This record gives sequence, C-alpha cells and structure tokens, in this order.
Amino acid sequence: MIDADDIDGLAGEYVLGTLDAGERASVSARRLREPALNAAIQVWERRLAALNEAVPAVTPPASVLPKIEARLDGFDVAPAGSATILDLRRRVSRWRTTAAVASALAATLALTIGVREFAPKPASQNLVAILQKDAASPAFLVTVNVDDRVMTVRPVAAKPEAGKSHELWIIHDSLGKPKSLGIVDDPARAVKPELANYKPDVIQSSTYAITLEPEGGSPSGDPTGPVVFSGKMLPAGDF
Amino acid sequence: MTTPQDINALLARVARKDRAAFADVYRATSAKLYGIVLRILHRRDIADEVLQEVYVKIWDRAGDFNPEMASPISWMAAIARNRALDEIRRKRPESLEDHPEFLDVPSDDETALQRVMRGEDGKRLSDCLSRLDADRAQMVVLAYCEGLSRDELAQKYGQPVNTIKTWLRRSLAQLKGCLGS
Repeated sequence: MIDADDIDGLAGEYVLGTLDAGERASVSARRLREPALNAAIQVWERRLAALNEAVPAVTPPASVLPKIEARLDGFDVAPAGSATILDLRRRVSRWRTTAAVASALAATLALTIGVREFAPKPASQNLVAILQKDAASPAFLVTVNVDDRVMTVRPVAAKPEAGKSHELWIIHDSLGKPKSLGIVDDPARAVKPELANYKPDVIQSSTYAITLEPEGGSPSGDPTGPVVFSGKMLPAGDF
Repeated sequence: MTTPQDINALLARVARKDRAAFADVYRATSAKLYGIVLRILHRRDIADEVLQEVYVKIWDRAGDFNPEMASPISWMAAIARNRALDEIRRKRPESLEDHPEFLDVPSDDETALQRVMRGEDGKRLSDCLSRLDADRAQMVVLAYCEGLSRDELAQKYGQPVNTIKTWLRRSLAQLKGCLGS
C-alpha cells in the first residue's frame, strides 16, 4: 500500500539523504513518472534548504571551471553537418585510468565517442573517431550521428588473421549477456548498430567491446575470443 | 555580492546557452556548492569531479529552473546534494584513516545549528529542530549536511537501523507539522 504518508516520508528521506543506493535509484527513477512524488521532493527541498546555510563555503580549485568549460566545449563541437576528427591518442591516457575501473572487461583500451542524450539540437551532429590501441593494432573508424544515436563502425587497418572476424558487442547489466552489434571486418560494408533500439541510459552506460571471433562471428552468439578493444561512451566533453 | 535576483537573471541567460552568464553563475555559487559536496564526500578529488558534473547539469537544466518554485541557490544545492549523495551511497571510499590527505575538510567552530539560525527560513527551521529531542535534531543535521547514511547513524547512536529509520521518519513528520505546509 502506498499512501500519501509513505510518499511524503520517502520524499523526506530522499532529500535528507538517508536512503541507501537502491532506494535512491528507485526514487530518482520514480520521480520522473510520479508527479506527486516529485512535488513532495520539491517541497522537502524547500523545507530543509535553510540547512545549506549550515555548511561552510569552500572555494574550489581554480582548475575546476576550465574543466567544466572544456566539457561544455566538447558538447558544442561540430557545427551543423560537419565532422570532427578527435585527436584521441592524447585522450587515451586520461581515459585509461577511468577505464580500468569502469570496464567490465580487461581494459585494453578505450575509445569512445560522445553521444549527448539531451544535446541542444543545432543541426545533425556527427562525431568521428579512430579506435586504435597503438600503431601496430587494428584500427576502426567510428562515426556517431548524435541526433539519431546511430553509430557506424568500419575497419580501416584492421584485417583480422585468416579465418577470424572482429565482432562488436554492447555489454550492460540490464541486457544480461553481451549483445552482438555485428561483424566489423568489411571496409566496404560498415556496421550500423541500431543503438536507437536500446534505451538512452543503456547506450550511455554500456561497455562496448570488439573481440576476435571465428570467421563470420561467434557461433554461439556469445563473445568467445580475445578482446581487441573495450570502452565506454563518454559525453564528448569528457575527452 | 550577487543577489538571488541576479542569479535568477543569470540562470535565464544560461538557459539560452550564454556562456558568460554561466561563468558568472559559477563564480557566484561554486564555493557554496563545493562546500556542500565536499562536506558529504570528504575527498577533494571526488568532490572536484562531482562539482564539474553538477555544473554541466546546471548548464543543461537551467531552462527547467523555476524561480517561483525555489531560490536559485536551493535549486542548485539540490542538484549538488543529489549528485554527491548518489556518489557516496554507491560506494563509500576506503577508510579515511588510510588517506589523511583527504581529511583536509575545514573544521568549523560554530556549530551547524547556530549557523542555521541566520535568516528568516533558518530561524523557522532551527526553531522547529529545537522542538525535537536533541539527538533527533542532531541526526537530521548530520544526515543532511554530512551525508550520514542510516547505517552510519545506527552505529553512531548505537541503535538498530530500523529504529533509526523510524526516528528519522517521525522527526521529518514533526518538522513538517511545525513548519506548516
């Protein structure tokens, strides 16, 4: 039974901050579709706002504002219809640290393209990146149409050994097993994973991996071979 | 000194993607928000990262801000607290004793409650808090300002978690009744 008191108590504790991680996540999701809960949260925010005065202000390091502005710049790259080549190598080292924690697979490398969920929509935005661990490794050209949430992956210098194929996977807890997004070997036939079929939050938080599989792709439908790349999508501003 | 009205006007410009206004909002509010997230997270490295995310969110959502619903600083503080609490609940960082360098959160002589006394709303709230049992009032302040979880409060007060939950809900209901509406 959910009654008004429960909603109000839950909203109060949400604002107070005492819910555990699971309860917080559930309330965060519910408030988007339950106006009564959302309104109760806003009222509690007002009731307790004076407590913010109890916390002393602390000047943040001077480096923070430039970092924020860089993130905003990242979102704003690529004027209408143009493509931006990102210098990814420079960014890989920074990403690696995060990836080590983030990646469910061995974080060999990661390269990611920003897809911004609620981007202000100028015209169609395309981002382009080359996925490559180092000069000797296979490379894949990835483009993302931000508006349509469509990613295109095409091998550039990524010939797998004879009898093998590179296969792209999307990996997320909510999907259960890794889901194949297709074989990415044929330079003439780019794979266009329909990311639109996945929920935006899943697209954002999934790990993407390319594995080396038997020719034609994993026979079982699950990844079997070594991971060539894996990484997550980041907002473009995070590069 | 930037007044709430100034910040309202700046946020309206931020909603139209005005970067200069955004930088002004940052300069006027970042010490407040950084204080809030640092108080909850205790680690400057994590607080720096969270603060960045908070301002990116403010940039994205400035259009949703409704000055009739909340003061601009309360609206931004709610974004900052939610982000910091999500972070701290997801994973408590390793024991702080292992990282003395992260304990450099400024200590304050004034007690939190005394500082709340300032301002109209603050007086009302601290009046109502003072009508609760002293430890219940302290519990509310520790949860809100320091980000203590039910488990941590249970440890601190030597009570089962369910008792803490009951006390918190009861304290909230009393505060609501006292504050009206």
